[in-house]
Amino acid sequence: MSTATVGLHGKEKAAVTLVEMCSVRLGQSLFGVPITHILEIVGSARPQPVPLAPMFVGGLFHYRGDVLTTVSLRQLLGMPPKDGSQDILVLESSGGCFGLLVDSVGEVLTVSSADHEPNPSILDERRRSLFAGAYKLKDSLLVMLDPEQLDPMRLSANRAA
Amino acid sequence: MDELTREFLIESQEGLDRMERCMTDLEERPQDAELIGEIFRSVHTIKGTTGFLGFKRLETLAHAGENLLGLLREGKLTANRPIITGLLQLLDGLRAILKTIEAKDAEGEGDDAALIGCLEELQLPAQTAAQRPVHARAHAHSAAAPPEQAPVSASTPVLGQLPVSAQPPEPVADTPSPPKAPAEAESDSSPARPRVQATAAESTLRVDVTLLNRMMNLVGELVLTRNQVLQATSADPNMTLLSRRLDMVTADLRESVMKARMQPVSNIFSKMPRIVRDLSQALGRRVRLQVEGQDTELDKSLLEAIKDPLTHAVRNSLDHGIESPEVRQAAGKDPEGTLKLRAAQEGSHVIIEVSDDGAGIAVEKVSQKAIERGLITADRAAHMVERELLQLIFLPGFSTAAAVTNVSGRGVGMDVVRTNVERIGGKVEIDSRAGKGTTLRLRIPLTLAIIPALIVRSVNQSFALPQGALSELVHIPPEQAATAIEWIENVPLHRLRGKLLPLIFLDRMLMPDVEHKIVTERDSFIAVLDADGRRFGLVVDGLADPEEIVVKPLSAVLKDIGLFSGATVLGNADLALILDPGSIALKAGVTMLEEGAVRAAESETDAAKGLEYLLVEVAGRQAAVPLGDVLRIEQLPLSRVEYIGYRPVLNFEGQLLPVEDSGGVLAAAQENSDAQGSSEKQIIVVVCREGNRHVGIAVSHVLDVAAGGDLFEAGTTQRTTGVTLLKNHVTGVVDLGSVPSLPAGEAAEPKWSQTEETVA
Repeated sequence: MSTATVGLHGKEKAAVTLVEMCSVRLGQSLFGVPITHILEIVGSARPQPVPLAPMFVGGLFHYRGDVLTTVSLRQLLGMPPKDGSQDILVLESSGGCFGLLVDSVGEVLTVSSADHEPNPSILDERRRSLFAGAYKLKDSLLVMLDPEQLDPMRLSANRAA
Repeated sequence: MDELTREFLIESQEGLDRMERCMTDLEERPQDAELIGEIFRSVHTIKGTTGFLGFKRLETLAHAGENLLGLLREGKLTANRPIITGLLQLLDGLRAILKTIEAKDAEGEGDDAALIGCLEELQLPAQTAAQRPVHARAHAHSAAAPPEQAPVSASTPVLGQLPVSAQPPEPVADTPSPPKAPAEAESDSSPARPRVQATAAESTLRVDVTLLNRMMNLVGELVLTRNQVLQATSADPNMTLLSRRLDMVTADLRESVMKARMQPVSNIFSKMPRIVRDLSQALGRRVRLQVEGQDTELDKSLLEAIKDPLTHAVRNSLDHGIESPEVRQAAGKDPEGTLKLRAAQEGSHVIIEVSDDGAGIAVEKVSQKAIERGLITADRAAHMVERELLQLIFLPGFSTAAAVTNVSGRGVGMDVVRTNVERIGGKVEIDSRAGKGTTLRLRIPLTLAIIPALIVRSVNQSFALPQGALSELVHIPPEQAATAIEWIENVPLHRLRGKLLPLIFLDRMLMPDVEHKIVTERDSFIAVLDADGRRFGLVVDGLADPEEIVVKPLSAVLKDIGLFSGATVLGNADLALILDPGSIALKAGVTMLEEGAVRAAESETDAAKGLEYLLVEVAGRQAAVPLGDVLRIEQLPLSRVEYIGYRPVLNFEGQLLPVEDSGGVLAAAQENSDAQGSSEKQIIVVVCREGNRHVGIAVSHVLDVAAGGDLFEAGTTQRTTGVTLLKNHVTGVVDLGSVPSLPAGEAAEPKWSQTEETVA
């Protein structure tokens, strides 16, 4: 699946909007984060674990003078932890900056809103709150992540509720 | 709220702050035209701007005040006590309206008729003449007192009170300038008299505090990057010059940014004259306020943090300290009490003292009250020395006021002061002599952002432990691990000099789910911590170097864990969480009362067991130095030791320290280094106090601190001198008195000295 085809596809239907998504890989699945929310991508990072922290916290890492909390997407989705280094997306949400720990960051894809579908109803509630539908790519699905919902503050509030 | 109103609010607040400072000065010097001019300008500016913004209520009130001030300015009235009270009420009135505007963006409904009426009444010359009390004349008299008294007494130099201050320029002439002539004449006669400054708009700039915080953050980051660059380039000679330059610029930048956050303590001191004035009137005291060291600077956030404790301390002094004039007179004291506020910088701390010459704290009353309140037992109180008893006033729920007044004495007193000051890494000390007065001393770190910390290791991670809470470290070698830690059921304890200290295992606390065993194959360490009066030992796996750390805030999610107060980046670019000793104690259930018991018991046993000694090794033999006499232990290169004749001495910044070397440690070290040809050999010198001089003792090793036991000569009850029982060995005590003092003549005559080349 290449970016060009999607672009062409978009041009055919003039009414649809094109969005740029950063694709991230987690195990076998492909996820997308809108690039408008991404401040920086930090490669091969090893965040410092925090004892007693909530499950979803992937640790701390040092980013431009601040110490940011990372959210481990693996732990959030109940996947087994991965050995070795991972990539961090520095995301900006209304509550401040935080890191999203993923297996690896892929290319930026331009997707068309025409290919977007909402979350399927059979998805469990937890995932339904984290995902914002999916884009149908040629050979796979790009599951959208909602940065606002991934904010550690939001996650801990949801967990408590 | 629009930008214009917001700006107006900030400006008006600053104007009123300035006015308040001037008001208290005015009471001292009612004739001071410059002061009156300054107050007039503040009110006038508010009136002018409000008319423009359409705040009618504010305008009417300011107008009434301006009329009164106008008469004062023209010299038709003299600022006497009722007028000053009226003006202070005007100040409060204006403040209240400004507050309403800030909250609701509207003036709100309120009736100022009474206040305006009062201000108008004060304008009638007949009335003021009738009311002018003897007091005002007394004050006028004191204004004519010698000028050197001016800076000491409550006169407030407004210098440096502007938010970001450079040298304030001459008063800006955008507001009606005060009549110059009399002021100038006066300032000629008293050059020490402070000048009243108008806004320094040209050389200063308002900067958002969040921006300053951000800058501080980035500078911290730069410091870390620099450290890494320096490490990486240290081997490359081509980079030396560049990296040194980077080093210098970074240090300079860091200093400048920190300076930008500094504000003079006068920002909070200036609130005190008003509080003292109001309170002393309410309580019927006569108090003179002396302020010293107003230009001492402190980080803005710290300044905010000590405002309440300081106010509380001043209230306390007035309420419980300084007696009423009659009582003072009866005691043969000046009926007018003195309250002194002093600020000074001492190294990396700022000392703020609140002292009064009042009744002092009656120690018996303190212990009585503490027993009554169940804070300590009578038995324990009997064993406590005066200094310890004084500390009781810092316990929560303690208040000595016989009656609950509306000034203080609600049982939330000194403990709040202590808690607030300790929260920012400061310390509170109290010193009191019955009948003579009380001094409360706050030790505040210069800045919050950078604190000294000890880096400890646990669960394979580094953690930072703030030095402020650390009282000592105990090393447990592997072979002692089993015996050093004792258990009551599942509560670990350590015998620290014979007393049980509750222990908290950091690894168990951090990883409660994992099975932990007491490791016996490697060393462990106990950090003895004293957090908010809770004393406990924290067991860690290892110690690394102490470091000055830059505190970074944690996200709320991690703060909620409750054990960490922040995070920091270490010199090796690793991240470390900063442990919060207070929360750890709370979480583990170490209580304050337990601590009280420990402390009291400790002092008992200390008294029973006699002196503590520093155990040292001198050329293969063990010797003891009384711990009370030890000032510090210095490790320095052998080349620092110089000789006057055959006498070894050390030069500490111009102070000559005779070094006792009866064990021949220096000579042996000298021989060794001569043989190896290196001058970098380190020696250890224990610096002690002997009488009123200092002496150094050269030792091979410092071994331990232990309590000495008395030895008796066989067959007698006579205590032996010069030896003590340390760790069940008879040990000789170093006789400090026998160290000969430096002959004055010798030191003065350079031709006797045989100075060696000093390598810094």
